[in-house]
Amino acid sequence: MAVPAHAGDVRLRIVDGTGAPVRDAVVTIHTARPAAAGSFKFPWAAAMTQRNVQFDPHVLIIPVGAVVTFPNFDKVRHHVYSFSKAAKFEIKLFGRDESRSYTFKTAGAVAIGCNIHDAMTGFIKVVDTPYANKTAGDGATVIASVPAGRTRITVWHPRMRAKDQESTLDLDVTAGDLSKLITVSLK
Amino acid sequence: MNLIARLRRFVLGSLSAKLTLFYAALFAAATILVLGGAKVGITSYAERMIAGEMEAGGKVFDRVAATRYDQLGDAGRVLAADFGFRSAIATDDKPTIESALDSLRSRLGLSQAFFVSSEGQVAGYRGTLSAKDAETLRASLDNGATRGVLLLGDRRFNAAAASVDVPVTVGWLVLGNALDAREMANLSRLSAIELKPRIVSAAELPAGVQPHATAAATERSVSGERVLIRARPIQSFDAAAPQILLLEHSLTRALAAYTPMLWQLAACGLIGVLIAVAGSWLLARRLSRPIAALDAAARRVSQGEYAQVAVETSDEIGTLAASFNRMVDDIGERERQITHMALHDSLTGLANRTLLREHLTTVLSRDSGSTKRALFCLDLDNFKVVNDTLGHPTGDALLCEIAERLTAFANGGFVARLGGDEFAIVIDDSTGSLDRSASELIRAVAKPCHVNGHRIVPGTSIGIAVLGVDGNDPVALVKNADLALYRAKHDGRGGFRFFESAMDAEAQARRQMELDLHDAIQNGELSLMYQPLFNLNEGRVSAFEALLRWNHPVRGSVSPVDFIPLAEDTGLIIPIGEWVIREACRTARSWPDHVRIAVNVSAVQFRNPGLNSVILQALSESGLPPGRLELEITESLFIDNVEATLSSLHSLRALGVRVALDDFGTGYSSLSYLRSFPFDKIKIDRSFIMDLLGSDSATAIIKSITSLAEALGMETTAEGVEHVEQMDILREQGCSHIQGFYFSRPITPEAVTAMLADGAREQAAA
Repeated sequence: MAVPAHAGDVRLRIVDGTGAPVRDAVVTIHTARPAAAGSFKFPWAAAMTQRNVQFDPHVLIIPVGAVVTFPNFDKVRHHVYSFSKAAKFEIKLFGRDESRSYTFKTAGAVAIGCNIHDAMTGFIKVVDTPYANKTAGDGATVIASVPAGRTRITVWHPRMRAKDQESTLDLDVTAGDLSKLITVSLK
Repeated sequence: MNLIARLRRFVLGSLSAKLTLFYAALFAAATILVLGGAKVGITSYAERMIAGEMEAGGKVFDRVAATRYDQLGDAGRVLAADFGFRSAIATDDKPTIESALDSLRSRLGLSQAFFVSSEGQVAGYRGTLSAKDAETLRASLDNGATRGVLLLGDRRFNAAAASVDVPVTVGWLVLGNALDAREMANLSRLSAIELKPRIVSAAELPAGVQPHATAAATERSVSGERVLIRARPIQSFDAAAPQILLLEHSLTRALAAYTPMLWQLAACGLIGVLIAVAGSWLLARRLSRPIAALDAAARRVSQGEYAQVAVETSDEIGTLAASFNRMVDDIGERERQITHMALHDSLTGLANRTLLREHLTTVLSRDSGSTKRALFCLDLDNFKVVNDTLGHPTGDALLCEIAERLTAFANGGFVARLGGDEFAIVIDDSTGSLDRSASELIRAVAKPCHVNGHRIVPGTSIGIAVLGVDGNDPVALVKNADLALYRAKHDGRGGFRFFESAMDAEAQARRQMELDLHDAIQNGELSLMYQPLFNLNEGRVSAFEALLRWNHPVRGSVSPVDFIPLAEDTGLIIPIGEWVIREACRTARSWPDHVRIAVNVSAVQFRNPGLNSVILQALSESGLPPGRLELEITESLFIDNVEATLSSLHSLRALGVRVALDDFGTGYSSLSYLRSFPFDKIKIDRSFIMDLLGSDSATAIIKSITSLAEALGMETTAEGVEHVEQMDILREQGCSHIQGFYFSRPITPEAVTAMLADGAREQAAA
């Protein structure tokens, strides 16, 4: 993929009202020129594994149309489901080393759970922009090589106190790196 | 006197009443204290109990509510976790949702089971729910409320919520039980006392009551009753509108429940007071009865009776009673001693005059039958001499000896000592005639005895008065016996005399004369007559003898023979003699220098130590030279004490006065006196002169007297010369002076002056 000139890294740090870093917040940047579906990929696997009766990763970012596999590494069986608008599906009881997959065709947040294990929660953020990443334990993330220009930044977190658990802000990206601290309100 | 004053006097006067009142008051005070303490204790106990019940009630409510919430929550969570239900929620399948909720509601018998979505949509609520309530509920659920009291409109529920997670929370399942009157009544039954539990909002709280989880109850007055109110915040869905559990209990009614107990206590206290009254009255009576008995006994003792109290106990009261009895006995013993002392003579132990009088009264009151009884009064002869010469201890010892003799003689009869050396015996004639008894008594007393190493021969005279004859009362008897004794002594010692009525008359006469004589000096009834003494050698009057005369206005001229002994007996002779000396000296002052005045001095006067100064004063007042005063004394002066008499005579002589021996020849041993004292003159007794004419021997005696006087350098005066023959003999026999009727009777001072004037003329003529 051609990298346009005058692109810069956008560095964001997400904190909550108390100043504590917010982990697993998904930051997406929409540029003036939207990316075509299927034109980009993320450098991480589109897989939501079940390990130690947990979804791993907790938050997975995938592009629209991506096929996500749900490999089970546990000795027990899981019944993965989602009632989210973006993707309603159900992968009924499947066992160890069994893998199922589901194709996410609509952008949005998909909350997935296990009908057997209530404690298992995972989120798949289906995005329609290549400029997306999630915050690490220190609340920081870097979205590299964002072309300069007017952008809309969206911050999503499953516990965010906002409609659809996300908030947006418009930001002009100029040549060079950009650093910004964003404060969000969590439940 | 009004009732209070009478009661007051009774209480003050009665130890029992005092003690009873004291203990009753004490017990009443204790009872009141106990009642007060019980009331305070009960009140505080009731308050604590109510407060405790309220706290327990609050906790019970919490526990019950928590259990309900748990049940509701559990049920809610079961449905909320159901995949099919979640699927219906996720797909917004309302009919399925509502039927599931209906099913749950009927299965669990719930008032409400409904779903609230995150967006605020409510499904399955029975009844109408206002938008405000719905939003409030949603906000509470969104803020995490899971259980508590849920206020929807005016209805309250115990409610629990369960989130519907798919897996993110998309809404909440709310289950609720109505908190209606029945539910509150059920709750109320869980506490021991009626707490009237109510759940109210903060705004509905009574004024002044603050909700607090642990604070004590607040006391409020509600329509006149004391009410304890406790407001306890309870879990509430809406944090902004906290719900409060209000518990109330009437303290007034709770305390009223204890009122019967207090009344019972008061009744017990009253009974206790009555028991204390009765008990302390009994005890006080036990204490005061012996005191009253002691008081009564003491009164009897003070009235002279003999009284003892019964000693019933061995405690202090018993000891007091014993001491009292001992005291009464001791007082009686002392009274007997005092009575004995009052009725007996301390020296001899014989009865005294008082007891004699009592005894006589007793004896007189008894019929003596044929026996004759008499009172013997004794007087020791010359007892004074024993005291004077041998001393009083010997005198007392002699009296004791006499007392013993009299007691032995009386042989059980009554013997008394009347004082001094006077005794009395009551004797009857059962053992012999009274004369014989008197003689024997005199002999018994007169036996010689040895006292204090001295041999003494006592003697006594006895006067006898016969009881019933010589008097019917003790006073008359004693007086008459005394009169008889006086006569016995007068008649010569060592004899006895019976009383005769004449004695009484004599005594009366003597007494009257005594009184008259006493007044005679004051009234000027006394006068002096002067009998001249004629000097045969010089042939003129050389002296006058002053002779006392008493001219009583009624008695007339009283003879010196009658009144001089009386004056000597009574001591009147002292002032009379003094008057005589003064009067004589005063009169003699006007006479010629060679004429002396002669004054008789009686034995009583002579023994009076004031005689010298009387003479000195008379001489100095009259200015009469001492040599012109001649004192005439009789031999009797020498009988008692020769030495003392001589000493007195010498001291008189030293004054310069002359001393003449009167009545010479009548005494016992005149010659020895002549040798002892250089008399200036001897007066020859008239008995010799009267014999001169009939007896030669009388002449011889005169001759020898004049010879003796001449030899001793003394003048001689012959008394009682009545005839010229007598004078001739006397002149012949050498007598220097004569005195008598032949020459002159006693004459008045005026006659003296005339006689002296005549004499002077004769002398001048001669």
